[in-house]
Amino acid sequence: MTKGIVINPGKCTGCTICSLTCTITYNNDFNLNKAHIKIRKNDMEGTFLISFSSTCLTCGKCAEVCPTGCLSMLVASF
Amino acid sequence: MCGYAGKFLDIDLSSLSIRDLTFDEDTIKKYIGGVGIAAKLVYDLVPSDIDALEPENVLCFSVGSLVGTNVPTACRTEVSAKSPATGLFGTSNSGSFWGSELKFAGYDGVIIRGKSQEPVYVYINNNNVEILSASHVWGKDCWQTIEVLRRELEDEELQIALIGPGGENLCRFASIENGPYDAWGRTGLGAVMGSKNLKAVAVRGSNSIKVYDKKEFIKLVNQARSSLNNSPFFGPFSKFGTMLATVPYYEFGALPGRNFQTGVIDDWLETRSRKLVHQYSKRGISCMACPIACAHWVEVKEGPYKGLRIKDMEVTPLIGFAAGCDVNNIPAVAKLTEVCQRYGIDMVSAAGTIAFTMELFQRKIITEQEIGFKIDWGNEEGIFKLLEMIAKREGIGDILAEGTKAAAQIIPGAQDYAIHIKGLEIPMADPRGRWSTWTFGTLTNIRGGDHLRNRNPVENLRFNENPVPYRTEKFGLSDELYEELDIFEGEKEKIFDFQTRDVNIAAMSKWAEDLISVYNTLGVCIRPPVLQSIGPNLLSKLYTSLTGIDISAEELMEAGERIWNLQKLFNIRAGEKIEDSVFPKRFYEEEMGSGASKGRKLDRVKVQEVLDDYYEIRGWDRKTGIPREEKLKQLGLV
Repeated sequence: MTKGIVINPGKCTGCTICSLTCTITYNNDFNLNKAHIKIRKNDMEGTFLISFSSTCLTCGKCAEVCPTGCLSMLVASF
Repeated sequence: MCGYAGKFLDIDLSSLSIRDLTFDEDTIKKYIGGVGIAAKLVYDLVPSDIDALEPENVLCFSVGSLVGTNVPTACRTEVSAKSPATGLFGTSNSGSFWGSELKFAGYDGVIIRGKSQEPVYVYINNNNVEILSASHVWGKDCWQTIEVLRRELEDEELQIALIGPGGENLCRFASIENGPYDAWGRTGLGAVMGSKNLKAVAVRGSNSIKVYDKKEFIKLVNQARSSLNNSPFFGPFSKFGTMLATVPYYEFGALPGRNFQTGVIDDWLETRSRKLVHQYSKRGISCMACPIACAHWVEVKEGPYKGLRIKDMEVTPLIGFAAGCDVNNIPAVAKLTEVCQRYGIDMVSAAGTIAFTMELFQRKIITEQEIGFKIDWGNEEGIFKLLEMIAKREGIGDILAEGTKAAAQIIPGAQDYAIHIKGLEIPMADPRGRWSTWTFGTLTNIRGGDHLRNRNPVENLRFNENPVPYRTEKFGLSDELYEELDIFEGEKEKIFDFQTRDVNIAAMSKWAEDLISVYNTLGVCIRPPVLQSIGPNLLSKLYTSLTGIDISAEELMEAGERIWNLQKLFNIRAGEKIEDSVFPKRFYEEEMGSGASKGRKLDRVKVQEVLDDYYEIRGWDRKTGIPREEKLKQLGLV
């Protein structure tokens, strides 16, 4: 897995808990623009794309809170 | 200001003026956000003697206070106004991503006053707010409009609250759609938006929501997530979503079959229950911050609806169309869901109104000549045509778009078949087949015949008492979970009899209505896994650590009670009478014909006894249903 690449993990439900958790872990506020992991939603099609920014610290917080577990394998492959 | 964006957007479409609106600390502590602030604004700003479609009505979008954070399921926004469907307090709650986007744009809510001379939409991009022409999308359906606006504003993730032809043509049960697949469905608020010539409110935000005590907040969020994950309801809801309820309500004989003529449908389990969920569901779909993902992404691979792809299989429209109208397959219900979403009409009221029409046709009260075609039970093509006629107010659709209560006053001989309370069509369950806090709650619900403002967090879906004791129901939790339940000790004693394992329905109704008011104030979902696992103690700590505003669990529940009473006061001012809190005549006079509920009907005297208990517990006058002076003083409402 490479930072910056956009992928569709298949099981993602779009809940965005990963981004919300990332932003509050490294800041004192919630701001999705500050998150290192981003979920791009296509709500008409029910699909979600995940990307990690180059500033991602690979701490794994997002994988800890992902309800589907689909982030665990991604983060483990960094 | 922590936790909040700190201001509302106040738009007057008559003068095309835009300004910010702020609230003092006392108002915030008393009404908090979501339905609380919405109720306060509508009560203060809307004259009681207007029709809901007049420009003096005020439409209020109010985001829950925890929305925009990672509190599990915190994503929900309340929309309120005087209701075109009931003439009472109109209000509806929806999740998805619109509310968090508005908060990231820097607003906790939006008030819409007046009426534009031409169709317009509001575009909010952080602090840049514009009122733009909607002439090019007026007349288009909701899905088409979303596509056009996203392309026009070059933003594929733009969050849009909007109306379709149903709202434009002032159908009194028009919805406000929340993106393509979610909605503020009940009480006809889409017609209020249509009456103001407002097509959409499109939002994009990139601002921050500050946290007062980050360390404490993160600790509490982890506690909430753990508690939710350990709820016995979490797994089943993640697997089946709300379709879980399709089996017990069939087994109870409590389906609203053929407009509440039968509680069972012979091939129900094989053709339209949760047993078929994984035949059509490809994966779960979440709202913002929700780990449950109770919605399904549905793909239909064969048959007449082959190629249909939609976020669907929610139990309320399924039971409305599949039981109420006897549509015998899930793909057809998914297609009907799409049609309602495109037209922007409430699926519950649409299904109820069409079931009412089908029964009138069955009884030859209306004829093929009057409708234009046959509308016998399960006739999918006929339902599609009727939905279009309702949304466009064509032919008999012009009468049906007024809702069942008004339509029954127009069509001779139709009165006994209009299944509503206070003008709002009743969803989900027949109380003759399943008497519970939940079904009793349709009587006391502020917004009329509806099931989403009262829900027993310990409902036992494995047990249905016969004969019905009326004042109580059995509770459905283990002793261990009962001990963990976040209900104040003094209240527990009023609600539960631990020896008999009875729940006092009147006492539980007050607790549940106040608790759901709190949920709808904070923006947290009321799905059973949440309701059972995240209570007022945890919520008050989450709110305090997020905002820095110190509030106890008791103060939070008192705010819930205050908000419920304020909505009741609006209704009384709008003309609601105590005798309006009554089930349709059918429920008292016609016995259920088959299934587990065979022979059951409601006892009018015993139902009234539970209502009397409820009024007493609420501090409302038993003879008038009006909150007593001392109750209003206690809540700071006089």
